[in-house]
Amino acid sequence: MAVRNSFALALLAFACAAFAPPAAAQDTPYFVTYSHHLEEPGTLEIELSSNYATQHAGNDFIAPWIELEYGAKGWWTTELYLDSQHTFNDGALFTGWRWENRFRPLMKEHWINPVLYVEYEDINGADKTMIEVVGFDGQADHAARNAVARREHQHEIETKLILSSDFKGWNISENFIAEKNLGHAPWEFGYAAAASRLLRLAATPTPCNFCRENFVAGIEMYGGLGTTDSAMLSGTSHYIAPILAWHMPSGVTLRASPGWGLTDTSHRFLLRWGLTYEISGFGRKVRSWFR
Amino acid sequence: MKRLSISLALLLASAIFAAAGAAREKKSGDDRGVMSAIAQAPLATRDWQNPYEGKPDAIAAGKKLYRQHCAECHANDARGRGRAVNLRSPGIQNATPGELVWFLRNGNLWRGMPSWSGLPIERRWQIVTYLKSLR
Repeated sequence: MAVRNSFALALLAFACAAFAPPAAAQDTPYFVTYSHHLEEPGTLEIELSSNYATQHAGNDFIAPWIELEYGAKGWWTTELYLDSQHTFNDGALFTGWRWENRFRPLMKEHWINPVLYVEYEDINGADKTMIEVVGFDGQADHAARNAVARREHQHEIETKLILSSDFKGWNISENFIAEKNLGHAPWEFGYAAAASRLLRLAATPTPCNFCRENFVAGIEMYGGLGTTDSAMLSGTSHYIAPILAWHMPSGVTLRASPGWGLTDTSHRFLLRWGLTYEISGFGRKVRSWFR
Repeated sequence: MKRLSISLALLLASAIFAAAGAAREKKSGDDRGVMSAIAQAPLATRDWQNPYEGKPDAIAAGKKLYRQHCAECHANDARGRGRAVNLRSPGIQNATPGELVWFLRNGNLWRGMPSWSGLPIERRWQIVTYLKSLR
């Protein structure tokens, strides 16, 4: 039911988007890693993404989530996530929400641009979106049946230091993650790093859909780095994942990324995909309602 | 269902908060803020040569990019809209191409102009080439 609600919300959002002017942003194509590129002020980005994973001791699953990302200021982006999952031969459920904020402390571009990230998560133990991997997160965490896993409530604060650079058409980003379950657990640490580049740097004079200038290719790597109680790599999960994104002039972006686990505790295979639509001028329309 | 309702309420609250905050921003519409930001460009940017200067293909490509990235705020005719400045104004047209490319990279985050550093410099030059063709 919850998953159905999430999809209904996604359909509604995309229906609204159909009547709004499209925008083409400069977003990087990553699923896990953040760059310093924030949402343009007043722009609302609606994204439906999903994470499919194979499960060694248990059932494979697919975990869709919806992102609503808004450029509140030039230096501040706020975002709401609604998570869900469907575990094959088990069931489907809404697994919680997250509210994240990203701030750019420096107003100018530098060789390395820092962004501060703060997120509050209210999710349950059945969440399988794997939007970040921290501590000793591993496939064993996803083996329990939904009825059992959903009983665990996770109220967490997640912080990130995002460092990102643009150089000759490349974007190179590194994230350092620290996450704390507000209930009982120690701080957990993780990382994500990625690089990407447009397949053609200069634009062509004529509009085109299926041309190199609209494609971005990249690769990202992410994983856990232990906890304050046990800061070691043994038992942590790590993934490597190439990415391809297709920006269409209509404002829609499609992204896909197969990923492979690099350690015994990792899922062997992940497949992520995402569909994004940007509504520029959304903030102006909302403001006009209050005048 | 209850969680979904809470989430939607949170989303609405944050959208209203953000929109209200934006509404309080000083309304400028003129190019003084932009010019003061452009004035911060390093002197060397004045000597940067536009590799696409006057090239029809670059103007067409710049126009396409302008429609994709800039027109929503600055209007299709580049005469500005709301707080977004008129890009045909003397202040903008008298800035050197190098200064404009530098400004596109850095933006003016505090006043709502995003940084376009994610666009390769080739595309920023193409946009500047188009803007200069509006003179």
